[in-house]
Amino acid sequence: MTTAAKAQHRFVPGQPDMWAFVLFEALVFTAYFVVYVVCRTRSLDLFLQSQAHLDLRVGVFHTLVLLASSWFVARCVQAARERSFRAALTNAYLTMLFGFVFLVSKVLEWAAKLDEGFGFTTDEFFSFYYFLTAIHFLHLLIGFVALGIAVHQLWSPARRSQELVETCATYWHTIDFLWVLIFALLYVMR
Amino acid sequence: MNAISDKRMMVVWLALSAITLTQLGVGSVDGGQALRPNAALTAGAIGIALFKVRVIIREFMEVRHAPVLLGRLTDLWLALAGASLLGCYLVGTV
Amino acid sequence: MSDSAAGTLPEERSGSLLRKVAWHWRYDEKRELWIGWWTLVVFYNLYGLLFFVITRTQPPPQPSLSPAEIAQWFADRHHGLLYGYAIVSIVGGATAVMNATLAYSMRRMSVSRAFAYSYLVIYALATLPGMLIMGVVCSVGAMRPDRDPALMSWLYDFAFLSFEGTMGVFLIGSLVWMAAVLLDENRVFPKWFGYLNLCNALTEVVVAPAWIFQDGVFAWDGEIAWWINMGVFVTYTTVFLTLLRRLILREDFGTGPLPELSQ
Repeated sequence: MTTAAKAQHRFVPGQPDMWAFVLFEALVFTAYFVVYVVCRTRSLDLFLQSQAHLDLRVGVFHTLVLLASSWFVARCVQAARERSFRAALTNAYLTMLFGFVFLVSKVLEWAAKLDEGFGFTTDEFFSFYYFLTAIHFLHLLIGFVALGIAVHQLWSPARRSQELVETCATYWHTIDFLWVLIFALLYVMR
Repeated sequence: MNAISDKRMMVVWLALSAITLTQLGVGSVDGGQALRPNAALTAGAIGIALFKVRVIIREFMEVRHAPVLLGRLTDLWLALAGASLLGCYLVGTV
Repeated sequence: MSDSAAGTLPEERSGSLLRKVAWHWRYDEKRELWIGWWTLVVFYNLYGLLFFVITRTQPPPQPSLSPAEIAQWFADRHHGLLYGYAIVSIVGGATAVMNATLAYSMRRMSVSRAFAYSYLVIYALATLPGMLIMGVVCSVGAMRPDRDPALMSWLYDFAFLSFEGTMGVFLIGSLVWMAAVLLDENRVFPKWFGYLNLCNALTEVVVAPAWIFQDGVFAWDGEIAWWINMGVFVTYTTVFLTLLRRLILREDFGTGPLPELSQ
């Protein structure tokens, strides 16, 4: 197929079922975000003061790490499509690596905050901070299961379901874009 | 690998990362010690975030090549998220 | 069950509802499945009525009420609590039929029977925190209105923590169903329902902070721990009731992939 023909052939990446999940989860998270913003507007000073204890550079680092992981899993899908399965596996492993870097870094950030005396019940801002980052963390852990399934598929010629690999990638990207929003709400917005 | 697709994805990744790096600048706007809400900064932050998310969806998640309905649904969600988040913020801080 | 293999069934009667029901009662080989399904529908509606309207224990009140306010809360609901939970204690056994119907869906799948059995056990146990403890404790509270408010306060916490905070059972149950759906090759349920089970499971995790907070969005009556959670749960319940109905319509009592509905 020529590139032009490819571009005209529209397809749903992965299972449409996963897209239903993605949209539903996005709605649920949006609900959490709206509650956060509303609570924020009710206690502006508190939220601003507490937010100052977060390190913006750490937030940026986390975002960059997940963006890179997304890039790698997108490359993985492309490679699998071109039937370059070794390249696809390498990219999948790189996705896992960057995902792991995020996990470790996030735990270190939590440890640092706890060390400074900011816990889940310290104040409303920190309740939201731990809640949003923890629920995201949980989704990320599930993301490793998804990547595991993708790697399992890519490993053997007997499997290699393109649909399944794309489905797993779709889930991973969702974790990435949810973080982009969490980053803006917790670290950047004033 | 399809060279064009590969290059495009790299450009997208670099652009998203560059935008993220510029957000470090927020820290210097107020030294991270802002004790007053800043509507412009917030609108910018949320707007940029939604833009980044849309790029991730359309490029990395390949919705650009998906049936139009999927693109519309994701855009609808983005619009909903933007309107509700910004709306609640502005209503609450005005 | 009547012998319908040779197509010797009397023709399904058209006519009044009563005649149709009678026909199905005598000849429909899916009779038990339909009884199970209707039990689910009736029970969930009854449950909503009992908890939200008659006893008015849902939406939940604030954890941060004072003992005097709590005593007043019980007093305001005196008759509703006693009569409402009396009804619950009578019909509560219907959950057996409901859970059996849900487990049946997993038996029809190509996956191990262990999924269905695990689900049955989990949800059988779930009746306690999901209904009965709340019923007993609230009835105890309502039974003697002049009880010491400090004791009422104790009962109040016990009732609501046990009811709102113990979502863990449903979490595991949802994961079991999710795994079954995703691994199933008989196409009993669409894959997106497996993912919806994951959504439901995750929102159950979100309820956990209710054990820690006495006010705010994470308390047992909070916007996040209750309201959003409830939104997901209601969606989930409506969806699986609809899918179960489709399952029963499609059921061919075989062991292979379920045929699709011809529409």
